Order: sequence, then structure tokens, then C-alpha cells
Amino acid sequence: MNAFKPVLTEHIHQKDCHTLPFYKSVGGYKALEKVLAMQPDAVIQEVKESNLRGRGGAGFSTGVKWGFIPKDSDQPKYLINNADESEPGTFKDRLLMNKTPHQMLEGMIIASYAINCNTAFIYIRGEFYKEYQLLKETLAEAYQANLLGQGILGSDYNLEVVIHRGAGAYICGEETGLIESLEGKRGWPRIKPPFPAIEGYLHCPTVVNNVETLACLPHIINHGADWFKSIGSEKGPGPRLFCVSGTVNNPGVFEEPMGISLKELIFDRAGGIPENKQLKAVFPGGSSSAILTAEEALDVKMDFEDLVEKKSMLGSAGVIVMDETVDMVQACLNIARFYAHESCGQCTPCREGTAWLVKMLTRIVNGQGKPDDIDMLYEITDNIGGRIDFSKGSFGKTICPFGEAVAWPVRSFVEKFENEFRSYIQQVEAVA
Amino acid sequence: MPLLKIDDLEIEVKNGTTVLEAALENGIDIPYYCYHPALEIVGSCRMCLVQVEGMPKLQVSCNTFVGEVPPERKVDGNFDMVVQTQNDLVIQERKNILEFLLLNHPLDCPVCDQAGECYLQDYSFKFGNAHSRFDEDKRVRPNEYLGSQIVINHNRCILCSRCTRFTREISGTSELFVDERGYSSKIAALEDRPLNNLLAGNVADICPVGALLSTDYVHKNRIWNLQKKSSVCQDCSVGCNIDAFYQKRKIFRLNPRENQDVNGYFMCDIGRYGFHRFEDLERVTRPLFKSNGIFSEISWDTAIEKIGDKFNGAEEKVAGVLSPFHTNETNFMLGRLIKGIIGTFPHIEDEEITYPSGFRISSDRSPNKRGMHDVCPSIVDDLASEINDKEIRVIYILDNEIDKEIDETWNKILTKMDFIVVQAYAMTRLAKSAHLILPGLAPFEREGTITNDQGRVQWLRSVLPNNGESRPDWEILNLLYKTGERFSDINELMKGMGEQFPSYSGMTFFKLGDQGLPLNGNLKT
Repeated sequence: MNAFKPVLTEHIHQKDCHTLPFYKSVGGYKALEKVLAMQPDAVIQEVKESNLRGRGGAGFSTGVKWGFIPKDSDQPKYLINNADESEPGTFKDRLLMNKTPHQMLEGMIIASYAINCNTAFIYIRGEFYKEYQLLKETLAEAYQANLLGQGILGSDYNLEVVIHRGAGAYICGEETGLIESLEGKRGWPRIKPPFPAIEGYLHCPTVVNNVETLACLPHIINHGADWFKSIGSEKGPGPRLFCVSGTVNNPGVFEEPMGISLKELIFDRAGGIPENKQLKAVFPGGSSSAILTAEEALDVKMDFEDLVEKKSMLGSAGVIVMDETVDMVQACLNIARFYAHESCGQCTPCREGTAWLVKMLTRIVNGQGKPDDIDMLYEITDNIGGRIDFSKGSFGKTICPFGEAVAWPVRSFVEKFENEFRSYIQQVEAVA
Repeated sequence: MPLLKIDDLEIEVKNGTTVLEAALENGIDIPYYCYHPALEIVGSCRMCLVQVEGMPKLQVSCNTFVGEVPPERKVDGNFDMVVQTQNDLVIQERKNILEFLLLNHPLDCPVCDQAGECYLQDYSFKFGNAHSRFDEDKRVRPNEYLGSQIVINHNRCILCSRCTRFTREISGTSELFVDERGYSSKIAALEDRPLNNLLAGNVADICPVGALLSTDYVHKNRIWNLQKKSSVCQDCSVGCNIDAFYQKRKIFRLNPRENQDVNGYFMCDIGRYGFHRFEDLERVTRPLFKSNGIFSEISWDTAIEKIGDKFNGAEEKVAGVLSPFHTNETNFMLGRLIKGIIGTFPHIEDEEITYPSGFRISSDRSPNKRGMHDVCPSIVDDLASEINDKEIRVIYILDNEIDKEIDETWNKILTKMDFIVVQAYAMTRLAKSAHLILPGLAPFEREGTITNDQGRVQWLRSVLPNNGESRPDWEILNLLYKTGERFSDINELMKGMGEQFPSYSGMTFFKLGDQGLPLNGNLKT
């Protein structure tokens, strides 16, 4: 494992690493040249074989997703780069856009070529204003160098890239909510089927990929699928950007192979917990993953499979660390409040349920809790997101995974730190 | 065709049918709120969840399509899909969704106009809990006007978004939208773009709960006091199918009734609120004879006698004025009776409106111009000049709707007449010019057939009872025929009409049913 050398972030500490000349000096756009000489199907096949899985959260196979694009359709195809990074505790895409925007852009051109798309979008989170400005420069450089536009690098392949700024809604990071938003509509996720690959942007076949996913592509093309598969865990290989935040000495983004132990990530890379406090809990994959107790956290590998076994998920790989001083009831309320605020309000369980959770948790925190509340919290979360039963797949009850994204973490707080919830409630009983 | 097993029922369905459609067509009740057959599927209420074999989660039946699957994927080697709509898991889920929908609901059924025809009430009764487990404060908001005729009670709204989809997809006017987000979401219209299109009333109909209310009906009555009769709208030549809700002699509201060959699921507000103009009329309920400028009541026998006196021997000098507002039967009877000339008052064209969904409001705001011409082919083009040319002295007029004014030319013609008979239901200006008024029926009292501008014959059913001594219009005319030439009832009349006009032959009310039939042969089958 010591041999691992960062792939995506290798050059981020060098001067002018965001510019085209720098990117070219380290072998940038070589993969694109290679791809333009390949058949699109061969590109899809290579990516399928690499077993690259989406870095946005759901972890779906990228090559398989591309394969869903109908070949015989004469509709235009679209690629959307999902740069609406909004998951709490996640800040890897922002780093990639800041430091190596051309790496991501090269990935976009490769993906667009593979699915035969001539217009691609970057849907960037509205708050990323600096990155937006930088990306505009990046695109200008690329057009100038004939990496975008008509007849790219002398081939007969054309591609236009358009940047679209979101307005800051969390739900617009969900791919169909994003598409609606891109179409100028309210960011309400669409019901599936049809999936975007069949009917996406303007009812045309569309692929939505995350920034980090796209950034992996040039490396897969350059070094081959086998090289990629040799990095990290077998069932979800490759390098991965882990964002570590919370009560650690050295928070930040760390590029590591898939399957690194969470313990190593927290206590080595992120420098452990300040003042030698005890670890209490960790979100392994953004705030929509179920929380892990210290005991679970110290014994888990950061890959898709191992975290699912722990009834959580790798998600966006946003690791949020909490030390012993954190009040879990307050933290739970904080998370619930975030999701209630961000619920789009389209479907019933999520719209009504998230607000119910907040009202109930607020009451508990304010010392008005009742003994029945614990059971009710279980029931409400189950009624929003369904019971966590990974053996049978996800059990969500809502149009998009947002329902699960709120139900699972909240339920895990109650389940794993029930005594803290009880102590809030018992206080009341004592007074009474 | 795919074979679907739904509960214990095995049915073949068309490829691409949704589970919900298949269930509803086959009498299986799956509750739903956001689904509406005329609107885009959004699957947001989550009420229609069912269990589909082989799928890990419950599926919304409104967006689960049944299609043929390859043999190796058939369930039990036979079925293309197997669905459970009534098992414990599904029922429990319905309870859960209902609980969420009712959290903030004010439970004010006793003062809610929707009570009695409310899906929230019905399903709560069927699946809901007796007590709320919600201990928190409810979300409370004041009512708001969305347009001049539509009010929203936000507290009852379940955000199914049918209304916003309606204004986007059917009227194409997009006044309504969802404001704010999540728990704060609410249906809204911009202040300077209120919901005032001519289809606005439909949003109150399609609202599955008591949130959207028509100011015309709000707090006027309770649905269980009202009786319902299917009929046809008479405010333009489209002939939208309607249900009229009435109590005793008063109509309280009209609702569109589904007819895919005519109006789909909707009607316009011109027709919806049009019935009010017949409410406070000075009704004519007995035959009235004018002498020395004053009307006095006479008996039907005397009235018929007086007409006979004027007609006898001068048949060629009598003009008949038909009306596109009357039924085929009435027009037929008058057309056949008059030996002089027959025609109509000049036709008034209005604005023609077609919505993006294809819903149409015709420029012809009379219900039966086509039928009138069908059963009276000898209508002259310019009745006014023909009357002058042929020195007509006696005229028999079917009233031409209360609010349609007669112009100067006609005023002059009428003053020259020796004898004017007007068959009318109200003391209109036209009726006042008559020497003899015969009391007929008002539009919602009439029965007969009318033919819309697409050539569809529909059964116009009477909703309200007759007033006083007034009689069905065809029957009045029947009295003017010689005894041997009269029809015994309206069915005989329709038979006689069919004999003379083959495109109408074989037509009966029974055959027309509540959906009507197209002309040209199909009536005979």
C-alpha cells in the first residue's frame, strides 16, 4: 500500500497546475488523442472493464451507465458533469475544479465521445463562484487549443461545453432534479423510469457523471483498465478522494486507494483527534450515510462493500469525525434540520416526515421529550426511508434517494446512541 | 398481450398499460391522489404503492408499466407481472402515507365543501388511524385567492400538484406553481398573473381534497343534499358533457363529465357558471295573450285555437323562426309545421379558443346549429329579406336565448307583423313583442337531442322540473298539428324524424346513452 502515488491530485501543489500548458506538460490530453482514434464502443468497453464506479454517491458502474444510451436513437445525446457538490462534509470536486480543471474537462470530452454527444454541460453549484470563473478560463483555453469546438484535434468530432450555475439547492445534485433545473424548471427529481439514459435533458438520452468520476477517465485510458483495477478494492477499484472534516487535527482531502482503513484515514492522514480526545462517531460518506460508532469506525475499510456490511455507505466519501464532546442528540437535530430545509417537497413522506422529525427532535432537545418519542423516531424514519435491509437492496419510499438520505442517518443516531436520547427524555420525567 | 396477475385476477392488458390503469379498469381499488388520466405522471403522493413480485421496494402503480417479458423472466412461467394490491405490507404503507398527509390537515370536514366527495376523507376512513400521533404544532396558513373564482385553503392542500400540471399542460397558461420548498411548499399564483383563464374552474374539480374551491359554490350546500343528473352543456357547439347538481328547482353547480370524444375531462367556465343566468328570470308559466298592449293569461286550448285561426288559409304567409338553442326535435317540429318560410335570427359569432391540449371553446355559442340545419334543410339564408319579399304577416318564433338581443332590422320586421307567436320561457324583449306567448321550457328543463359541431348527437337530459303550465317545446308544436299527424311521445317523434332524415334514423335516447353517438350510419347500429 505504501507504493500508492496520488493519481488525481498528483500535481495539485505545483504552481499554475490549473493551466493548460501545465496540464499538457504532465501528459494532459494524451488520453484524448488516444480516444479520438478509438471507436466509441471500445472506450465504453475499456471503462466497463476498469470497473470504475460513480464517485458522486450511488457508486453505479460508469461504463454500464454509458451502455444504457440507446445506439440507434437519432436524438441528440447529452453529457452532464455534476459539479453541484452539496453533500455536507464533501469538498473533493471543488478541489479538482480549482486545481486540475483540465483533467476533469479531458474526462468530459472522453465521456462525450464515448456516448456520441456533441453538447455537454457543467452544472456547477452556485456557491462555487471562484471555480465558475476559473472554469470559464479553462473552457476558453480549451476552445483556443481546439480541444473543444469543431473538429477536435483534427478529428471529425465536435463538442460544445456549456457551464450552468445552480442556485444552491441540495436536491439539484440528484441527477433528475439537476436535469429539471438545467431545463429551467423547479428542481424536482423525476420519477423513474424512464431513466436519464433514455429520457433525460430535453427528453433526450443523457448521462450524468460526477466531477471525480470524469477526472478518473484520462488515467484509465492512459494506463488501461487493468492498471485501474489493480488499485484498491476489487469490487470498486481506483483512487478515491476522501474528505476528512470534523474534530481532527489535519482536516482536508486525501487521495488514497479504495479500501483504505478508516482508522488510517483519521489517525494517520488527518492527524488524529485534537487534545487526545476519544473518537465517538464518524459519518463515513457524507451526512446522508448512516453514522458509525467509534468501535465500528476503527474496524472498517473505506470501500463500497465493507461499509454496506456495516449498514452504512461510502457515499461521497465525506468523512465527518465527531469526538467524545459531541452531543449526539443535537448533532442529529442538526442533520435532520439540514435535510428538512433541503427537501424539495414533492413527495409526501419526505416533505411531511422530515419536518416532523425536526419538530420532534427540537422538542426533545428543549427538554419536552416523551418516552414514546424514541419509538416514534424509529417509525417515522422507517416510513420515510424504509428499513435498512441491504440484503434486499434499498427500501426507499420516495421518488429520489433523498428519503433514505435523511432517514438512515437519523435512524442510526437513535439506534446507536439511544441512551443519549433517553437521557434527554429522562430529564423531563425527573422534573415532572 | 402481456398477462398480468393482480391479486387473484388474471388479466390480459395492452402493452404499456400501468398497473393503476389495469386495476381501475378491473374494479380493483388502488387509492391515489396525484395521478390524473389527463395529466403527466409524477408519482409524488406515494399513495398508490403496490408490491410487484421481483422488485425490492414497493412501486407506485401509476408509473409501473406492464409489458411483455421474455419467457425466462415470466413469473411462475406464465405471468408478465404479478402485483399485490391488498396485502399487509401495502395496506400498512397506505396507512403510513395517509398519516403523513393528515399531519397538518385541519380535519375540518364539517365545514369543508369537499366533504362527502373527498378522497382524503374516504381513504382515511378506510385506512387511517383514529388518532393522530402528531404532537407538534400544525402548519397553519390563511386562505388565498388564486384568481377571481378560485380560493385555496392551504391547510387542506396535500401538494399533489394536479392543479399546477393542469395550468401547464391543459390550459397552457401556467399561472399556478409551487412556491417555496419542502415543508413550506405551497400552491401559488403571481399577483399580476392570477388564475383567471376560462378553464380555471377545473382546478377545483381535479383537486382531490378541499383545498381548491370555487367561490361560486363554496359553503352553498352539501353534496349529500344535492341530486345529480348527467346532461350536456348548452353554451357552445362543442357540447361538453356535464353533471348537473341540483336541489329541488335550483342548480348549485355543474361539473364536467368524462367523454373522450367530446370534452375529455374538462369544461370551460363559460359553461360552468352559465346556468346562473337562468336563475332570476321573470318566467312565463302560462300562455299569455296580448290585448290592448296588456298580457293576460289564457288557457292552452284557447291559445292553440287562436293560432289555428291565424294559420288557417294563410299557411303560405306564415314564417317560422327556428333556434340553434333548441333541440333537434323542437326544430324539426316547427320546420315541418310551417308552410311559408323558415329561417333563423342572424347568427352571432364569438371568439373561438383552442387550448394547447386541444380543448376547444367554439365561436358558435349555441349548442345545436348543426342539428337545426340537419333536420330543417329548407332554412333560408336571409330570413329578413324573404319576409319582406313574400309579405309575411304571421310569424312563429322559438325564443333565441335570453340574452341574445334582436337588432333594429328585426324590430322593424316585428312591428309590421299582424300576429307574432313566441314560444318562450321568460319575459324577454322578444316575448314582449309577441301577441301570444306560449310557455316552453328553460335550457336545463329541456329534453331531447342536440348535435354538436363535430356531428355527434347527444342526449340532452332535463335536470329541473317544469314550471307551472309550461310544456316541452316539441309538445307545444305537436298541439298545432292536426290530430292524425301528431306524435304520441318523443320517441315516436324521433322515429318520424329519422324516417325523414336518414342520418338520424334509428336514434333513441337509450342508444345515445351518456356518451352520445356520431352521425352517419353509426346511429343505426
